[in-house]
Amino acid sequence: MGFRGHRRAGGSISVFFRRLTSSSSEKPSPEQEISMILLQSHSRFLLQALSNRVHNVEKGVEVDYQWVEFDDVRYHVQVVSMKNPHIVLLSVCLPTPPPETAFPGGLPLGAIEAIKATYGVVVQILDPPRDGFNLTLKINLSKLPPDEEFKQSLLVKIASIREVVLGAPLRAVLKRLCSRTMTPDVNQLIALVHRPNEAFFVIPQVEKVIVVYPMRFSDMIDTVLATSFLQEFVEARRTAGLNNAPSCTWSSSPPLELKKAPPEALSANAGFVSFVIFPRHVEGRKLDRTVWSLSTFHAYVSYHVKCSEGFMHTRMRRRVESMIQALDRAKPEGDKAKRSPNSRSFKRLSLKDARTNSNT
Amino acid sequence: MDPATSRPAVVIDNGTGYSKMGFSGNVEPCFIVPTVVAANESFLNQPRISTKSSNWLSQHSAGVMADLDFFIGDEAFSRSRSSNTYNLSYPIKHGQVVNWDAMERFWQQCIFNYLRCDPEDHYFLLTESPHTPPESRECTGEIMFETFNVPGLYIAVQPVLALAAGYTTSKCEMTGVVVDVGDGGTHVVPVAEGYVIGSSIGSIPIAGKDVTLFVQQLMRERGEKIPPEDSFEVARKVKENYCYTCSDIVEAFNKHDKEPSKYVKQWRGTKPKTGAPYTCDVGYERFLGPEVFFNPEIYRMDFTTPLPDVIDKCIQSAPIDTRRALYKNIVLSGGSTMFKGFHKRLKRDLKKIVDVRVLASEARLGGEIKAKQVEVNVASHPIQRYAVWFGGSILASTPEFFEACNFSSFYYILHAFACHTKSEYEEYGASICRTNPVFKGMY
Repeated sequence: MGFRGHRRAGGSISVFFRRLTSSSSEKPSPEQEISMILLQSHSRFLLQALSNRVHNVEKGVEVDYQWVEFDDVRYHVQVVSMKNPHIVLLSVCLPTPPPETAFPGGLPLGAIEAIKATYGVVVQILDPPRDGFNLTLKINLSKLPPDEEFKQSLLVKIASIREVVLGAPLRAVLKRLCSRTMTPDVNQLIALVHRPNEAFFVIPQVEKVIVVYPMRFSDMIDTVLATSFLQEFVEARRTAGLNNAPSCTWSSSPPLELKKAPPEALSANAGFVSFVIFPRHVEGRKLDRTVWSLSTFHAYVSYHVKCSEGFMHTRMRRRVESMIQALDRAKPEGDKAKRSPNSRSFKRLSLKDARTNSNT
Repeated sequence: MDPATSRPAVVIDNGTGYSKMGFSGNVEPCFIVPTVVAANESFLNQPRISTKSSNWLSQHSAGVMADLDFFIGDEAFSRSRSSNTYNLSYPIKHGQVVNWDAMERFWQQCIFNYLRCDPEDHYFLLTESPHTPPESRECTGEIMFETFNVPGLYIAVQPVLALAAGYTTSKCEMTGVVVDVGDGGTHVVPVAEGYVIGSSIGSIPIAGKDVTLFVQQLMRERGEKIPPEDSFEVARKVKENYCYTCSDIVEAFNKHDKEPSKYVKQWRGTKPKTGAPYTCDVGYERFLGPEVFFNPEIYRMDFTTPLPDVIDKCIQSAPIDTRRALYKNIVLSGGSTMFKGFHKRLKRDLKKIVDVRVLASEARLGGEIKAKQVEVNVASHPIQRYAVWFGGSILASTPEFFEACNFSSFYYILHAFACHTKSEYEEYGASICRTNPVFKGMY
């Protein structure tokens, strides 16, 4: 029985790579219209909360929410006082870095500069950050640009705070690749945090950047599916239409580039995935998308593994239904009439039965 | 220590009309979306793709990834309206999940696209209606543990959560009658000390959707010019914005007739096909809509028991020592109880019934023994719309939530507490989810 999930891997990698390589024209390709495939870079709830605040700044509505995103990124948003309803405090807590990758000053390298560059005067960094968080920002909504489109795009950028802060070191490396400059960290192994206590590795070189992910999953079934998925991933990269995409390899043992890495970082039950990024992948608009896609690669794979499981459940349910139908057809006529409403063996659930059987 | 217990639990309340989802510890849900899935079903019958056409890769992807080609919530409505490839399906009818594929996908999108959390990191609190069969709980447990690998799951009964919302008294009162009027069904559930009195649950087949249908019917009968494909949506918005509960129908008719300019409202919309604007009047349906709860015969012939009667019958069927406490704490929950004046009308009608009975019994005893007045209280609060979600949020933020053993404490329902953990699921299978201890009470 062919594993349809393999073809799904092909589909998802093509979308993943198209995002990295598509030209900067605005028209989305047919796959990208299927927006459920890729993880968006902005937090949906944060964008909603900020937009609501912007549109209802006169109404005295209290705002105080806490929530958590994948990879253990926590947020807290609050409007501190009703007297200044346009001041919003946003606090972000990042995943705990593994020992080899401590954050200097509590934040990833280059995060503060990235925040200042992206948001300008609308956002101010508060020091010290709120207790339990890595970063607290004071957002002044009255300083948003008056033009609707700019305002909306800036709000989306604020909602993508995670991409700006966590992705700052990677962004710096890729930007240097774009300008092809020689830097002191050429051929050095850089470890960057993407999940709590886990890092992925970046080896910058003059002409290219190699990114290596040790893939770990806690559940056995997930591990098996992920391994199969990633192997197909690599196979699918070889299809004709994806020549411009970054090259991708998978191996079950640590690749050569990781020989200087600490041993704890090298245990990976679903193998190692390596990408080779060239300057053409990070030109112009593609830089942001590449940073996001690479920063959240593990989450992306995990998401698709779960979707595959859901898909298999759908097929299993359909199979069970078809088998039940075959069994029902096989019953002789007399038995069918005698079947009492309480015999549950092959009966589909119906509300009538539910009422008699509930609360037992 | 299990890191999942240090993170807020995810609370998802799936109702027939709307799903409320968010994290525990918050006052409001993060998202309130309609429970609807618009799926591209074409992949089911997909033939082998030929490799000859030039953009075979995109066809291949669309065919293979088409199972991810679906939308939920408001996006589903707008997509299905704009293109023919998407079919709308409502996974929950009358409070029960009928389409597990769609429900699994709905949850998948809730978790990954809306809440954007990793399900392996959080305990989950889901809700169910009191009539849910055990098989349904098993299926839910199966999906949550197998597909999403959640570390722990608690499936709560909706009326108990509404009581846990605790807005009736300063002390959280776990005895009361919950009148849950949602989109799919109305349930009257008496709860005594945290245990549901299963035999006294009453339900009426009139709910939010029926009010909308009635409003739609009235507007159509009057000949309002609304484009037919939009008429249900328009009726729903009219219901949400303009309907109120009157204290007396005749008086309401008179008021409307005497001062039409004050009472008759205007609805403005645009035709979807041409984009031309139109207006229509909103008149009697403003008060006739919610009136179906108190006089169902105006809407359907086969069911004529008004809601206050059903509540009274339900309390009378409960054990006699609980009845006064139940009358004293009638809690409203659900979006369809948000009509202005609903709780006042309900309290008034219910008090009338109770007083008549008390007087009759006094008369039978010849006036010798006077019964103490029965206090009837109907509690109302602005968070009624998502009272169940709020109760879940409160519950999931107590430290006892995470413990698998039964525990008696401040929240009485905790002696019904069993949060199913993944390790239990792996040991015993989906059947651990079958029983909900809340029903195993003394009654």
